[in-house]
Amino acid sequence: MIPLAAVIAVRPGWRSSNLRLWIPVPLFLVWLLALPFLVLALPIFFIACLASRMDPFRALWVLWQLLCALRKTHVSVEHREASILVHIF
Amino acid sequence: MSDNRRQVLDMLAAGQITVEEADRLIAAIEDGPTPAAGTGLAERPATAPRYLRVIANVVDDDEGPIKINVRVPLQLLRAGVRLASLIPPQAQDEVNTALRQHGVGLDLSQIKPENLDELIDHLGDLTVDVDGEPNLKVRVFCE
Repeated sequence: MIPLAAVIAVRPGWRSSNLRLWIPVPLFLVWLLALPFLVLALPIFFIACLASRMDPFRALWVLWQLLCALRKTHVSVEHREASILVHIF
Repeated sequence: MSDNRRQVLDMLAAGQITVEEADRLIAAIEDGPTPAAGTGLAERPATAPRYLRVIANVVDDDEGPIKINVRVPLQLLRAGVRLASLIPPQAQDEVNTALRQHGVGLDLSQIKPENLDELIDHLGDLTVDVDGEPNLKVRVFCE
């Protein structure tokens, strides 16, 4: 299952600022918005794969697996001046 | 009483080892893995590792403490290996030739997901702890 949501939290590197941006990213909306463009790009992708002598269906399957494997990824870096957190649900 | 423990006590009774040596041996036996006696069952990990964790705490004199916490699903590694299988055979040959010319004896065609599965299954025992300096602590493990 592809990730449907993510959270990005950023604390800017302004010394006098305690501002922390908490940005929930509804990835399902991103996929829905990108779907028409992906459908339009599909023939080009197929032609490129066939020209490279790659199986396009296998390539699509691998890319799908790569996308699905991103779930539960967590990266956080905290510094005195700035911090960033990315969590993919 | 396990067989190893009985052997240590027999050696102590026979005067082959001292009490301190017996104590150290018994402590080592109790700390290490204890195979189930008589069952013949191979030990298996309770659960296969699912994530690769990297935790680093660095204290810089000028910039202060830096904390890094990364959790990557091991499924991502498997998917990444499958990317290598997409490379066309003629391109694989060219890449292998170039690698050999640079002294790297790696064959891309041998990197297969099933080979990686066995490696990942044993990653559950992997733990890397770097704790040599007071300002640097790094821990890499699978969970």
